[in-house]
Formats: sequence, C-alpha cells, structure tokens
Amino acid sequence: MKVEISRRRFLQGSVALTVAGGVSMTPASVLASAAKVEDIGKTKIVATLCEMCVNKCAVYAHVKNGIIKKLDPNPYFPKSRNMLCPRGNSGLASIYDEDRLKYPLIRDGEKGSGKFRRATWDEAYAYIGEKLTKILDEEKDNRSTVAFCAGEGMAEHTFKNFYTGFGSAHFLNHASLCLATTVSGYSLTIGGYGQSDLENANYVIMAGANRAEAIVTPDTMDFFKRTKGRGAKLVTVDPRFTNTAAKSDKWLGINVGTDLAFVLALTYVVLKEGIYNKDFVEKHFNDFETYKNHVISNGYTPEWAEKITGINADDIYEVARDFMKHAPQSIYYQGRRTTWSKNDFQLRRAQAIFSALGGGIDIKGGICFGKKIPMEGHEVPSPIYDQSEPRIDSTEAAVVGGSGTWVGFRNKVLEGRAEYPIRALFNYKHNPMQNMPNSKKTEEFLKKLDLVVTIDTMPSDTVMLSDVILPECTYLERTDPAKVYGGIEPAIVQRNKVVDPMYESKPIIDIMRGLTEKISKPLFEITKKYDEEVQDAIKEDGEEATYEEFDLTLAFKQTQEELNHHAVSKHPGAAESLHEKGVFYPNMDKWFKKINVNEYEYYPESEKAYSVRNGKFKTPSGKIECNLSSLTKRGIDAMPTWKKEYEMVIPDGQFRFVTGRHAQFTQSGTANNKMLLDLVPTNYLWINKRVAARMGIKFGDELEVASSVGKTRIKAYPTEKIGLDTVFFIHGFGNYSEELTLAHNNGGRDSNIIEDSIEPMHGATCLHDTIVEIRKV
Amino acid sequence: MARYGMALDYKSCINCRACESACKAENGVLPGRDNYRIWVGQKEIEGQFPKLSISSLTYQPSQCQHCDNAPCQQVCPTNATYYDENGVVRVNPEQCILCTYCINACPYDARYIDDRTVTVDKCNFCSDTRLANGETTTACQATCPTKVRTFGDLDDPNSDISKLLEKREYKQIKEHLGTKPKLFYLL
Repeated sequence: MKVEISRRRFLQGSVALTVAGGVSMTPASVLASAAKVEDIGKTKIVATLCEMCVNKCAVYAHVKNGIIKKLDPNPYFPKSRNMLCPRGNSGLASIYDEDRLKYPLIRDGEKGSGKFRRATWDEAYAYIGEKLTKILDEEKDNRSTVAFCAGEGMAEHTFKNFYTGFGSAHFLNHASLCLATTVSGYSLTIGGYGQSDLENANYVIMAGANRAEAIVTPDTMDFFKRTKGRGAKLVTVDPRFTNTAAKSDKWLGINVGTDLAFVLALTYVVLKEGIYNKDFVEKHFNDFETYKNHVISNGYTPEWAEKITGINADDIYEVARDFMKHAPQSIYYQGRRTTWSKNDFQLRRAQAIFSALGGGIDIKGGICFGKKIPMEGHEVPSPIYDQSEPRIDSTEAAVVGGSGTWVGFRNKVLEGRAEYPIRALFNYKHNPMQNMPNSKKTEEFLKKLDLVVTIDTMPSDTVMLSDVILPECTYLERTDPAKVYGGIEPAIVQRNKVVDPMYESKPIIDIMRGLTEKISKPLFEITKKYDEEVQDAIKEDGEEATYEEFDLTLAFKQTQEELNHHAVSKHPGAAESLHEKGVFYPNMDKWFKKINVNEYEYYPESEKAYSVRNGKFKTPSGKIECNLSSLTKRGIDAMPTWKKEYEMVIPDGQFRFVTGRHAQFTQSGTANNKMLLDLVPTNYLWINKRVAARMGIKFGDELEVASSVGKTRIKAYPTEKIGLDTVFFIHGFGNYSEELTLAHNNGGRDSNIIEDSIEPMHGATCLHDTIVEIRKV
Repeated sequence: MARYGMALDYKSCINCRACESACKAENGVLPGRDNYRIWVGQKEIEGQFPKLSISSLTYQPSQCQHCDNAPCQQVCPTNATYYDENGVVRVNPEQCILCTYCINACPYDARYIDDRTVTVDKCNFCSDTRLANGETTTACQATCPTKVRTFGDLDDPNSDISKLLEKREYKQIKEHLGTKPKLFYLL
C-alpha cells in the first residue's frame, strides 16, 4: 500500500507504538485530544469480549485519556472463567498496530503489485457498485457468480445478512479447512458435537487435540487443574510431544494419519471383552450388532493396529480397559481442527461410537449438549433470484453444506470445470492465501477474479491481492451482535465498543449500510432486466412493493446497539447487564458468586445442563447411529472402516508434514502482533534430534522445506519430541505482505507446501497428507 | 502493613505465558527477550522418541522470590534495593547506580536492566500499578487461564494464600541458600 502518510497520521502511529511499548511512557498531553475533557486523568472500565481467537473471552478494558491501557479478565462469562490468555492480553498491540488498514484503498497497478490509491468510502462503494452491475449484467443476474467468504467471528452474522440479501449460492468459511468433519461425525452419530465436560470427566483421550496450547474455553481451564494425579486421567495421542502430552498420564506417539486404526482397535477390545456399558448400548444404540460384527470380523485387533499406528498393542488394551473402567465419566475428546487425512469423517464417527460405548453421552462428566437461552431474531430480507444458479462445489464431495468446500471450490474454478464463471469475491476478514493449502493456486484464483473486495483490519496476503480494501475497525472499537453461548452453563454475551474507531476504519455494520445504500437499487435494476418472476411481480404489485423484498439496505437500517437491545428484549435487565458486564444469563444476579480470589461459581450444581436429551438423541433413529447406510449411495462407508490406501509410505530421507497451533498465535491473524512476537519471535521446524544430527542440522540452521507443490524457508529446532519420519511447524507465519512489517517473510509458511487434497465426505482439506524434503541452505 | 507472598500450583501451568504478556502490559516492561520480570522455566525433554519421560518436562512459572533474607538487598551499595512496608523487595531507580551486584547476587536470576531508566528492574508484585490502587491481586495471577497463582498476605491467617499453605504441602526453590523465599510451589 504505497500511500502518502501525513504528519498527523504519523503522530497517531507513533503514539500507538508508545502505548504498546510501555504504559508509563505515554505522554498524556499528546493523547488528551482523544478523550472527552471531563474524562481526562480518570480510568474508565469497559466490559467487552476478546476477538484474538475464536473463544470470545470476557474482558475488561481499562481506558485512560481515550487510550486503552490494559486488558484484564472479566469474571462474569461462565465460558471464559475469568482469564485472559497471552493473545487476549496482546489485543493492545492489535488496536495500536501501526500497520493497520487505515482508509479505503482501490488497486492502482497490476494485481499483486501492492499498489493502491487512497479512496473515500463513497468512491470505494461506487467503484464496487460499478463493477458488480457490469458483472451481473454480463452474467444475466446469476448472483452465484459472486462468492462470499468470511473468517469466524461475532460479526460474521452481519456480513452474512448481506450475502443472504445478495442471493448468491456461494458462501465459504473456515469449516472445510477446520472442523467440518468432527462436527458432522459427532452430530450424525450421537446427535450433536456437544461439549466435553472436562470439569467432571475422570478419563479423557485427547488425540491430536492439544488443549494446553490450542486453548478452547472452558475446556483448557477446567481440565489442566485436574490432570497430573488430581482427579482426571489424561491419555494424549499425538505424533508430537505437545504441552498437552506433558500434562498427561500416558502419551502415545502415533504415526500420522492412523488414528482411525487406533480407535477401531480400542473398540475391538471393549466389544471382544464385553466391557462396554451394556445397559446404555441396549437402550440407546441403533444397529449395534452390525457394528460389532464389522469390527470383530475385520480383525481390528490391537496387534493389527500396532503395525499401522506404531502404538504397542499392550498400550491399546490398557487404554481401552481403563476407559471403560472410568466410564461413563470417560470421553474420547472430539477435537476441533480435524482436517487431517482422507479418513477424517470416519475417524470422528469411530471416536463418537467408542465414547458412547462407555455411556458417557448426555451425562455429567461425559459429552454434554447443554442448553441455550432464547433470543429474539432480527428479520432480514431473503429474496429469491430466479437467475441464481446452485453451488458449483456441491459436485466435489458427498455432502457439501452451506459453508462449502473451499479447496474444492477454488480448484474447480481454476481447472475451468465450473458450470458458470465465478467473477467476484466478497471477503470479510478471511485469509485464504494463508489458511488454504497451495498458496500458488489461491493467488492464481484471486488474480483470475474480476473483483475482490476485502474487509479487514490488517493488510494480509489476501488483502494485498484484492481490488478494493475496506478497513474495518478492530474488535475494541465496535459493538458486535449479542450472541448466546449454549452449554452446561449457558450465557448471552455482547462485545461493547471500548473506544471510537481509529483512522477512517468502521464497524462492519456501518460498512454494510454504506455499501448497500449505494448498490442496492442499481443491482435491482439488473434483476428487473433478467428476472421474469420479478417482472411479473412488478406488473402485479408495482415496483415499490416488489423492491421492498430486494432492498439490501433493510438489514442494516438499525444500529448494532438497537439490534442487540431488541435481541434480548424478552429478558428483563439483560440489555443493561450486557452493557455493564458484557454478559447476561437468567438469575445471574442471584447465582454468580465469588468463591475465592481465583474461583467463581456461575450456576448452582442443580441448574447445570448436564443431561438434556431424556434418552432421545438428535439422530434419525433417536439413538446412537452405528451404521449410516444412507451414506453408501453417496460413496461413503456406512461404518468406520480401515482401508489400505490410508497407509501412506514415507520414502527414505523424506518426512510427513504436520501443522498446528500454540497458545501464542491464532493462525495468520496475529502474525504481526508486537506483543506476541515478543513471546515467540518466529516459528521453527521440529525435526527429530537424531535425524537432524545425521543431516548435520543444528538449532537455528536455515532450512528449505519442499513438497510437490512448493517450498518455504524456516529455522531448525531439533528435538526428541517428534518422530523420525515426521516434521512440524506452527501455522500462520511466513507472510508475503510487505505491509505487515513484522510478519513479512518471518518464518516458514505451511500453505506453500501443503498439498491441496480433500476428503470425500465434506470436501474438507487433508492438511497432514503431505510428504516433504528438507535441505540446509 | 502486610507480608506478601505467592503460592504457585505449578502443576496446572500449561506454559501459555499469559502471565508474561500481562506483566509486560501492566508494568510497562519494554519488549525484548532480555526484558522480563516473570517467566516460565522449562527444560528440553529427556529420553528418545517415542520413549520420552513425561515427568522430565515440567513448567515452572517464576519471578522474584521476594526473599525475607534477600542477597540482592545485602549487596546493594546504595540501598537502592530495599524492603517496603509489605515485605516486597523493591528497587528505587533514583538510588540505583547500575553496579549490577544485585543481578549477580540473585540466585534466581530475577533481575534485568530497564533500558529507559538504565537501572535494575524486577517484579514488585504490581505494587505501583495495582496494590497502590487498593487492588489485591497481581496481573499474573488475574490473567492465568489455569489459576496457577495465589497472591496474598502471609501474616493474615484468613487470606487465601495462608489457608492454601495451611492445607497443602509445598516446596521452595534454593531454600538451602537461606534466602527465605516467599514463593511457594504447591505439591
């Protein structure tokens, strides 16, 4: 973004630097202009919600003279349990990042050249309107030629209202790059993804899930107070020795991509030895005998699994028996980012069935489904466009849901197989350049589109390949839709604006309002031209009445504060509580108690929603589904089955690559955060110590990691925490964008080297199916 | 008047380092790998994959031990290091001449040089930023996801920390040096 920086802007930037660098250095006189006169010198505390990752922890922001000085945990939210992780603390460096997107920009050079010109909001809206009407005119109002994608977040809903009104079939989000397989695997089997009750479970298998590093609330906080001989037994199954492994009673270093064989062998043991919860199985299992015969007749013994997984048969026997000994307070933890290998959906099914064999479903200490608190809806127009075509990516996997298969979609477009052209992309805070494997293809895809509009806070790699950039303010500068978090202890929460948006940035709802006011009418003109249904309607009801259904501005007429007020209008005191505390749940004033300096009670034990299903699970049969025969006609196994093709051979001298996360960074979104980089300056390649020694690789050596699709450079970390044929590094580093001054070219980039294959059920990516070569450079 | 100390349920530490970032933000500690008042100690794991010793990898959250018998205080030639009325070991930057005797004397390596004041700095239990305002917790305690820390008055038998030390066994670090540290690692 080569834009001129005025003196005033520069000053804002330098102030921000000081705030992040050290609170005591802030020159009050420089900052005073940002605060109201009567507030100067006083500290104001605003209750809000974090957005440094997906958990939405409750936060208190301390504001003095218009500047946020400190972020502290806000104790009221049962899910976040009065804490703030390193990323939560580092929100300060996110709002005061000098590299933030500051004003609207329009591309002013070749795509990817990084040249943009500064524009006014009106100019940017007009530019988008012009391009869109041209595209839709050429495509005869096939709205699906314009795709929409969004990163996870509370305001994703606001952006989605725009998508709904626009009428495209294409919405894409992180699901197919993240949790699609586990959510559906558990839902189709036990009737919901559920919430593992780690406050009360006595035995937990965490396989691939790394809750000591990839923090999920309240799981992380509930569980690690109880591990290490303090109530809960933990078995960690992971090809790496993670921080979670360090907290476990047993760690099993499994071969990558073989978890399904491990679970099938556990199942074999409990079925063969008859140590499952017979009462639960009798009452709540559908097609149990079929599954039992399947597992036993296929010979999924621990001895068989040992050869595939690398885990000793004795360990498998022990874990299976121990699990059932502690059942029903035993859980095979669902996991979250589960796009690993081709068999992922079947793996999650097998886990869910195994967990259910212990009876630990819908029960305290097992997988619970919890309760929700009702909220009022907000009606938005959902017009039907006659010319809109169905999704193009539905052919790429057996079941493609509302959030699509990102890789399937991208590749179909690139390979010229799409039934009609995809011309434009609206992108809300999503970074496909980093989050999708094979960056080269993503770059080609983005360059191929006639219009890419990106709304974001930071100049990410995807932002740099966009045509129009609309700067959103950070989460500390906006109020977001109030939302209910269901669970054992449900609550409604609301992100409250802490300070006014800096620069010319705006909250998403304001951006949507401004944009739709500009483009709604011209777009309707295109529909009028091509849509016979609309033409008939106009004849019958008149243009004004017909347009009302297509009026894109209606969803954004009210302010977010008004919408939130309405959303909780049925609950007396809720709006006030959300404003003051950021949190509301019925009886909160009565039930919320401070127990001691570290602990709070949110719900009395008798009011916690551990069991809610009354013996009827939300599956077609109302029971645990062992055998989904309806899937076979879509080419998907009805029961989890191991196949020879799942056994990947790793050639000598090469490695299987795995990726993951840790507690200090959230994917690529925090890559430029000064406070987090202070904790962890870059990522490193984990390589086995003995292998590294053989290859002459020492700590800190610069390596090139190459696969069939690309390469990246990264420093070496030789360690025994990983096996001989596996290598690993943290996702989110190695950004291309030169506008991210700290993140640019910092560390290794996994999206360059991961091959872009997808699994057959939902078209979710297989992030752990890549073989790489390594050389010292 | 109090006698502040801290109990650490260190087995709960997941090495997320929230305490480190909260401390830096709270106390205005400059960025940089050598600048810190608080840290999580760990060693490289023992054994060979896949036969690794789980118990060899523990995380030890640490900071100034606020010794009752502090070597840093004894060696300071200008009395810049002193005990305040709450038993907290403090540094007065006005009196510090950066002789660095204290840095060498501290058996816990808890001190560093603040490049702005060019004096020695260390943990002071958030005395200026929190305790002075009537708050009763430190930033590191408040932010911790797994609630490792309990801060409080050791002289008050009803404080959370006193009650905890009453019922739980604990160990102290380098106790044999006679420093009488006020950080207690719960077993």
